[in-house]
Amino acid sequence: MKKECIAMLLAGGQGSRLYVLTSDVAKPAVPFGGKYRIIDFPLSNCINSGIDTVGVLTQYKPLELNSYIGSGQPWDLDRLSGGVHILPPYMQEGERGSWYKGTANAIYQNIGFVDMYDPEYVVVLSGDHIYKMNYGKMVEAHKAASAACTISVLEVPWDEAPRFGIMAVDGEDNITEFQEKPKQPKSNLASMGIYVFTWQKLRQYLIQDENTPGSSNDFGKNIIPTMLGAGEKLIAYRFDGYWKDVGTLESLWDANMDMLSRSELDLLEDSWPIYARLPADPPAFIGKAALVEHSVVTQGCEIGGTVLNSVLSHGSCIEEGAEVQYSVLMPGVTVKKGAVVKYAILGEDSVVSENAVVGGDPADCDPDKWGITVLGPGTAVEAGETVAPNTMLNRDHKEVSR
Amino acid sequence: MKGLHGIIFSYESHNDLRELTAHRLPASVPFAGRYRIIDFILSSMVNAGITDVGVVLHGNYQSLLDHLESGKDWDLSRTHGGLRLLPPFSYRDEFGTTRQFRGKMEALAGVRSYLEEIRQSHVVLADSDLVINIPLRDVYQAHLASGADITAVCTSNVDAPDDATYFHLDGNGRVKEALFGLRNPAGCHRSLEIYILSKQLLLDLVDECMSKDIVSFRGGVLLAKASELNIQSYVWDGYAAQIRSVKEYYDRSLELLDPSIRREVFHPKRPIYTKERNDASTYVDPSGTCCNSIVADGCTIEGTVENSILFHGVSVARGAEVKNCILMSDVIVDRDAVVHHVIADKKVEILESRTLMGHENYPMAVAKGSKI
Repeated sequence: MKKECIAMLLAGGQGSRLYVLTSDVAKPAVPFGGKYRIIDFPLSNCINSGIDTVGVLTQYKPLELNSYIGSGQPWDLDRLSGGVHILPPYMQEGERGSWYKGTANAIYQNIGFVDMYDPEYVVVLSGDHIYKMNYGKMVEAHKAASAACTISVLEVPWDEAPRFGIMAVDGEDNITEFQEKPKQPKSNLASMGIYVFTWQKLRQYLIQDENTPGSSNDFGKNIIPTMLGAGEKLIAYRFDGYWKDVGTLESLWDANMDMLSRSELDLLEDSWPIYARLPADPPAFIGKAALVEHSVVTQGCEIGGTVLNSVLSHGSCIEEGAEVQYSVLMPGVTVKKGAVVKYAILGEDSVVSENAVVGGDPADCDPDKWGITVLGPGTAVEAGETVAPNTMLNRDHKEVSR
Repeated sequence: MKGLHGIIFSYESHNDLRELTAHRLPASVPFAGRYRIIDFILSSMVNAGITDVGVVLHGNYQSLLDHLESGKDWDLSRTHGGLRLLPPFSYRDEFGTTRQFRGKMEALAGVRSYLEEIRQSHVVLADSDLVINIPLRDVYQAHLASGADITAVCTSNVDAPDDATYFHLDGNGRVKEALFGLRNPAGCHRSLEIYILSKQLLLDLVDECMSKDIVSFRGGVLLAKASELNIQSYVWDGYAAQIRSVKEYYDRSLELLDPSIRREVFHPKRPIYTKERNDASTYVDPSGTCCNSIVADGCTIEGTVENSILFHGVSVARGAEVKNCILMSDVIVDRDAVVHHVIADKKVEILESRTLMGHENYPMAVAKGSKI
């Protein structure tokens, strides 16, 4: 059935810079903000923007992500026509088909899927950003400009521009040049990795790119420069809301703290809800001796101790006499009596036993040696043990270096 | 097909829930921070593997329909079976539209064609004003093992809500006699109004009662047939609350602050399902304190909250003080307001610097949407 616009969500990334947090799951399935997983943001943005057909391209450790998305019901994406579809790589006749070689190749291999809906426009999204955005407005801008491709951009401070893919534009925001992590940036407009394509144009360039030997089949490296070179109309769509790439441990921690401050990323504001699939947990219980300040708590939390400046996910248990500060706790974490957790990310179902110390305050530490302490999913810290700042432990209690 | 079919009775009955049932049936009174009372018996059924549940409705059931929808939150939105809502489709109303069902047998006679189509061999009947997390599978096994005609779940705690049914049991746990309106029920067991019986016996009893113009299950079956039928007891002394008055509602709600009771009601192997509202997490501001409280998601706490239950989306502003209260969804307590021993229904707003005090013995219930 024909749809005017569908979305393709690239969710196959390994997320290697999240280290132990993605040892069992794909990056989009990493928990965020107490109730969510990263993929809830693009999925909720789609449904809130009126896009009811989403292809989710998976490749790396997809099991948890697949079961999380399920029928798509929490996002209202369980539809008779359209809805959410998981698209893993698959074999085709004559031994064709392979792992997704790059972002563009992932869409190329699913040209058949997109063609089923015969859309005018395709929105290409990635599953590692935290933001609220109306893609509908971006599609409108794309239509109004009769562009072949519209790329959403964010103004970043000039000194940070060399870390991003930079779009140089003319006076009407037509993109004139794409620079990947440039030493001398020509603008401070960074690509957010969100594209709207006119499907027939994209289809043609995907096929051309596939037949180009040596191409790395990537949107940023290949498709966009080729389209620019061919004189297609590419425009920049300026976005001025909150947007964060949570591809590193530090940025993931930062984004959680940004959510706490509510100045830029306010999830309690209800005009643009973010949906999630949640377990059937009772409401949070905050005990008699508990102290909770500048923190978020959610269903299934049991708090007996002190929680300051922290994000707690469902099923967190902070026993009486335990202390958690400036930390992000993923679902099912237990912090036992007398334990202290500071400046840490604790992976799902990790346990900090009695009187253990995990992480530390930057003020009490050599600045060169300080960093966020990370426990991988299922890691158990023994009673009385100390895990120093900037340390990362995996499930087998082995230290992992960054 | 072997197995259990669930039937839940949700219609207006005599109660003292006052403002709490002004816009809704007892079944959909909010409870425990994020649930409606019916969620508990409905989840108990689902957790026992029951796939087909009928809810007999009559009266002010709009709010219950909003809550149950298609039954998907209980995994009861099915192609075969699942949740069936049973408004009084064949009920002949001879006395005007406001009349209530007079009893369960009358209600069941009204849905007799539905009863005939039940796929399962046995039926569990339950009221919807009961908060319980009971392993109904065990009750069913006990029913099959005992060979009883009817198994009745009861408790030895006789501290009674209004209008309770009592049983005298013999040494083998068989119901010798059923009674109600007892002034001194010591030595009796109190019925929790959960009954298991075969589909065929249920149909026979419905037909027999209708032919004799007997409308109630209690009168027509329990009182009249205790000697004729083998009615076996299943004693459940875990948490069970029949919510029939504001005081009962208040006491049994705040009881949940006790961890041992919470563990019984929210048993990890038998989760309680409810309609998901998709709020963000609750935020506790540095200016706020919150202790000994149950807090649902989507709340903003900038004032003081103690010994209370907060439903979704409650906001307690700076300087406000909430103690021993139950605040339902989207209640707003403005700056410096002081609220003690109050049950505030949904969307109540307590304006700046107001003081609202109930008492432990007489909690103040504030009707939905009021502005004070």
